[in-house]
Amino acid sequence: MTRLTILRVVCKWMVPFILLFALYVQAHGDLGPGGGFQAGVIFAAGIILYSLVFGLEAGRRAFPPRVAEALAALGILIYAGTGWAGLLVGGWYLDFPALNPHHPAHGQHWGVFSVELGVGLAVASVMTSIFFAFAGRKGTQ
Amino acid sequence: METVITILSWFCLVTGSAFAIVGGIGLLRLPDFYARMHGGGITDTLGAGLILIGLCLQSGLSLITVKLLLILAFSLVASPTSGYALAKSARTHGLEPWVKKGDHR
Amino acid sequence: MSRLPTIGDQWIVIPLLVLLVGTAITVIRMRSLMAAVLLTGIYSFLSASWMLLLDAPDVAFTEAAVGAGLSTVLMLATLALTGREAKAPVRRPWGPLLVVLVTGAALVYGTLDMPHYGDPNAPIQLYPSPSYVERTAAETEIPNVVTVTLASYRGYDTLGETTVIFTAGIGVLLLLRGRARRMGAREREKS
Repeated sequence: MTRLTILRVVCKWMVPFILLFALYVQAHGDLGPGGGFQAGVIFAAGIILYSLVFGLEAGRRAFPPRVAEALAALGILIYAGTGWAGLLVGGWYLDFPALNPHHPAHGQHWGVFSVELGVGLAVASVMTSIFFAFAGRKGTQ
Repeated sequence: METVITILSWFCLVTGSAFAIVGGIGLLRLPDFYARMHGGGITDTLGAGLILIGLCLQSGLSLITVKLLLILAFSLVASPTSGYALAKSARTHGLEPWVKKGDHR
Repeated sequence: MSRLPTIGDQWIVIPLLVLLVGTAITVIRMRSLMAAVLLTGIYSFLSASWMLLLDAPDVAFTEAAVGAGLSTVLMLATLALTGREAKAPVRRPWGPLLVVLVTGAALVYGTLDMPHYGDPNAPIQLYPSPSYVERTAAETEIPNVVTVTLASYRGYDTLGETTVIFTAGIGVLLLLRGRARRMGAREREKS
């Protein structure tokens, strides 16, 4: 935990906005620049800022490393699972228009949304767990 | 009215760029770490601030202006804080400020 | 630069490229690793500006977030473990310099054959790029062509990319956590 009060106060105010911005970028991938990769990295940056200012233990309590690893795998499974959904409905793997035969554009929309969700989850969790693995190691280990 | 806003926005943009250049020269030429942070501070607040205000004037009343103002607010909060953190940690680790010969501290 | 280049473009493009090359050379020549890491962050920021000039905001966004943000933090965390200064090279690397120069010359010779920037007859513009742009408008209701191409038309590639990121994370965890556990076991043996 840093002793500087100004840093703690400013970080306490900034981190929610950073995380909110990450969610904004994730959701607006369809309408502007954005999508899963950018959102995941910004989310991880918010968690890293919190850990840098409030200490590694606080960061680990906020986003436990075990949960981060599980969420990374879950993100990949969501992505691959969307592909399987295409197979189950009767089309090809990762076939988005087949998800909604009456309205293929909606199928595309849902497919892109869930795929970006998987990517964002995976990227955020991987970046956070890499940071937690690097940080806090002392000396020559 | 249009020309007034355009001239004002151009004035803001050019002045902001001039302040950014001044900040850059300060970063290079000032003698001490603490003095160089003044250069960085000018670039972050006056330079970026005036450029963003110029862009706000150019884009009128729209969503873009709201986003630019949010960027300005974020930058005005984040850059002085990081400058403060840098200066404080340098002082804690013993970096002495530069004084001219013969000056009392 | 989606429109035809005008008189003023080179005033932005050429200084930016000169800054990029200068930063790269300075990173290589620096002995102080902290300065090298921060200059890498600056290089990444300049690359993001360059990509924005090329009308690619998605890529610029990702480059700025990953390179200037996350990558710098991770490298600084590594610097806390290793030393702050790079050791001076013990002997002059003439052999590797020769290899690098020959490879670089071959690559530059290869780029002479590439189509001009923005050439409408370049192979990438004939297929598949226009079809993606047209099919996005026709088949989906999503305005952002880049996201649709990334997630839907080239979904396999993005699945591969995400799996690569996941594998990188697993690799880092295996290397660092396994080693910490072995060191911890050795400490417990000694005491």
